[in-house]
Amino acid sequence: MIPLFERARQLNLTQTEQEILNYFEQNPSSAAYMSLQELSRVLYTSNATIVRFCQKLGLGGYNDFKYQLRRELKESGREVLQFDDYIRRSIALFQDNIVSIDLQTAERIAALLTSKRPLYIYGGNLSSLPAKYLQMVLNSLDYPSILVEWDRLLTALINTVSDDAVLFILSAHGNDRYLPVFRKAKARNLTTILITCDPDSPLIPYSTISICTNDQNREYRHTDVNSRIGFFTVIQILIELAAQGRTGGTP
Amino acid sequence: MISLPLSDEVIKSLSRHELNILKYVYEHTEEILDVSIQEFSSQVSYSSATVLRFCRKLGYSGFAEFKYALRAAKRESSGGREHSPGEGRPRSADMMIDLLSSNIQATANLIQEEQLLQTFRLFDSSAPIYIWAPGGITDTAGEYLEKLLFSVGRQGVYRIESSRLFSHLMNTVPKDSAVVLISTSGTFDTSIRLGKLAQMNGIPVFSITPYTSNEIADLSAVSFRFFTDQRENLGAEYTSRLPIFFIIHTIIQCYLKYKEQTGLSREGGSHDSSV
Repeated sequence: MIPLFERARQLNLTQTEQEILNYFEQNPSSAAYMSLQELSRVLYTSNATIVRFCQKLGLGGYNDFKYQLRRELKESGREVLQFDDYIRRSIALFQDNIVSIDLQTAERIAALLTSKRPLYIYGGNLSSLPAKYLQMVLNSLDYPSILVEWDRLLTALINTVSDDAVLFILSAHGNDRYLPVFRKAKARNLTTILITCDPDSPLIPYSTISICTNDQNREYRHTDVNSRIGFFTVIQILIELAAQGRTGGTP
Repeated sequence: MISLPLSDEVIKSLSRHELNILKYVYEHTEEILDVSIQEFSSQVSYSSATVLRFCRKLGYSGFAEFKYALRAAKRESSGGREHSPGEGRPRSADMMIDLLSSNIQATANLIQEEQLLQTFRLFDSSAPIYIWAPGGITDTAGEYLEKLLFSVGRQGVYRIESSRLFSHLMNTVPKDSAVVLISTSGTFDTSIRLGKLAQMNGIPVFSITPYTSNEIADLSAVSFRFFTDQRENLGAEYTSRLPIFFIIHTIIQCYLKYKEQTGLSREGGSHDSSV
């Protein structure tokens, strides 16, 4: 039992307040996260009534009530979601990723992206989105490029592109699937840039330049749910560097 | 103590809190030159969003540029002796990275638990979700959300690229649907019009828009906000979408976490139907 509710039971409650308490007792975990508006809608009562109820309990208001409830839920051994913690962790991961990126490598890549050599950007599945983003922004900066989203097309292209072509390849898993492509590119002495998040990817030795991000390859019910925020970050940095080259300084 | 070249107009535009920050800056210039926006905001006990807004009001793009201005002012007052040659180029790259991460940090700080929970309730329901793709670079963000939702097993997500079809849908889809509007500027007329149409038909709008006050955010049931700098190259804009991607990434990762936990201890789910 939650002490907060025990205390409420001792009080002299009006009928509406009794209903509020009943609702809390039946749905403690979800109530701990509801907003005042939502709650008043569910209970068909006014915000003021709920706030008064909280104040009767000797608390400052509804937020104070939620805070107490969450603390007591946690003490009573119930799992309480801590999104704040999780958001903080994802910022920390974001910053770790930025720190690990070598700026000189990034500048070398940015120079290649803006070199006016034929540029092919490849990303399959979820990696196609950062690829598309890079391609569209480079277009806005007057650096045209070709977006390749099919791996078969990539396999075919590797034989036909001109010798000065630059291939920019995004592959989260960096697996053997692309090994023939990279072998062929190396044999032809093409310039390949690989962005991956697997530091042991077999493709790294075959690429001209590679960057490894700290995204985690994870699956949810056998589907890839790696959101590749590290890829987007690297790409944003490359875009910033490319834009600097264009405008001759930060905007 | 050093002082920045600020006009009276700027000073007058500052709120009481912002004046407190300025006072702190003047009194502790040395200490803040090397701290990050997070450290600084905890020192002054304001959120990093407030600090960033403060820097913008003074005319700087962010905390990083603000620090550089302070450093420059300090150099001037000490006779330029600290100037070290050859540092120009890497500095601007450092500044760019500082700016990127302070925008993300401030964006993340604006994400509220309530917003996430309301969003998760939508994901858990079977309501059809219509994502508006306004055209241009922002479409990638819409597609990112769509693909990630599919990946976490949410069905019934439709990305619509035509505004006429979208208008048609707003008038015909069941009332329990939901609409997602993502706008990088918050001022795109078509998106505003579609948002109003949804609102008129009682369809809740979930939006991702900039931190500046904008109509789309005002008409949304749940509104995620982000910090970014609007930029363009002779009419072709290339404003960074990274903060938008970051919000979507955070929503999805938190949702996975939430699913893991509520999957273990679901309390009947009775609250879903009544909202």
